[in-house]
Amino acid sequence: MSKPPSVSPLVRSIEALSGQVIADCYQCGCCTAGCPIGEAMDPPPSKAIRLLQLGRAGELLDSEGIWLCASCMVCGTRCPRGVDYALIAEACRAVVLRRPVRSGRVGPETVTDEDCEEIPQQAFMASFRKFSG
Amino acid sequence: MASYAYYPGCTLYTKARELDLSARKALAVLGAELEEMPAWVCCGAIYNTADDDFAGRIGATRNIVRASALGDTLVTLCAACYNVLKRAKARIDDPANAVERERVLNFIDEPYEREVRVVHYLDVLRRDIGWDAVKAKVAKPLAGLKLASYYGCLMVRPAAVLDFDDPEDPQVMDELVRALGAEPVRFDFKTECCGGYLVVNRKDVARESSARVLENARAWGADAVITTCPLCQYNLDRLRDRDGLPVLYFTQLLGLALGLEPDELGFDNCAVDPRPMLAEKGLL
Ligand code: SF4
Ligand code: SF4
Repeated sequence: MSKPPSVSPLVRSIEALSGQVIADCYQCGCCTAGCPIGEAMDPPPSKAIRLLQLGRAGELLDSEGIWLCASCMVCGTRCPRGVDYALIAEACRAVVLRRPVRSGRVGPETVTDEDCEEIPQQAFMASFRKFSG
Repeated sequence: MASYAYYPGCTLYTKARELDLSARKALAVLGAELEEMPAWVCCGAIYNTADDDFAGRIGATRNIVRASALGDTLVTLCAACYNVLKRAKARIDDPANAVERERVLNFIDEPYEREVRVVHYLDVLRRDIGWDAVKAKVAKPLAGLKLASYYGCLMVRPAAVLDFDDPEDPQVMDELVRALGAEPVRFDFKTECCGGYLVVNRKDVARESSARVLENARAWGADAVITTCPLCQYNLDRLRDRDGLPVLYFTQLLGLALGLEPDELGFDNCAVDPRPMLAEKGLL
């Protein structure tokens, strides 16, 4: 079935980058209920998607929530509508990180020597790939 | 002796050496060996999903292309390498991504001809060797040990691509636990996230997620938690400020059950030393 096009160009580019259809979400809240970071994440997955449905992408892009996703893929696994919020959050971060102003959350300068010694490099690779431009 | 092309990844020769070492030694007892693939590069440690982020998937794809020259199977051990390599391969093989495939393969400029399967070490145990053969080699049954198999995210999700095990209630490590004579404990947080890479800039959040996993395993009566991910092991074992449950690689206990010397298995690398608990159970 064909979908009505999203109103906002920003939402359209988030849909293109994520491959997800924002209108598919019927706001059941399963994603937020299962999200291990949901309590700390503002907005949590379902609310973030609602903002996009309402054409308020700017609010989501300015939020802290998209920077708290651990890419655990629970939300997409449990969504009864086949919507994967992890991919949407990544698309939102991509939009922000590709802006000409520096907006990454992590980098070599944010890591302490002690953490550098201790934490597995797997975590640095993953964190820098998700949270720096 | 069966030999498998093996992708170790960046963490297994450094901060997770004991995972690599115990896995190799245990596999040798079972009559197979891991041969490190030449010229591997970092898989990227996490799969980049943005549709046009071709560059973010090149490293992983390069490994797939190089592995395809070696044989039909590539074995991984780190949960993140497994996840990333398998997803990158599915991406490049999907006809819907023909443009990406052509551009990325042109850029890599090496032949990608043969079908190569990305598998996990646990697949080798489960499919190629089999639980009966593992059981037959057990020299020291882990009797009386209750183990919580912690799969986390990367082994099971996204299920459609990984096709590894049930994404909500996976069983393969529990089957191994049984084969080793130990008792698998049922618990709720088998596939709950440890907080992953959030440890880098939001340790508070990762600590909370990890603590919940440990507390739940404890509540269900586990003596220890086992994992196959260096980052899960680190977050659970090192971020805690309370629960004292040991967190080990499954390969360390596999090695112990197969009769390897405890000194060879890297138990001293755990923040919470599992040896007193193992000694109490009469296993050391
Ligand atoms: S689980 Fe799916 S349908 Fe339900 S709120 Fe989340 S994204 Fe929407
Ligand atoms: S992938 Fe991100 S948003 Fe989805 S459940 Fe996991 S942490 Fe929450």
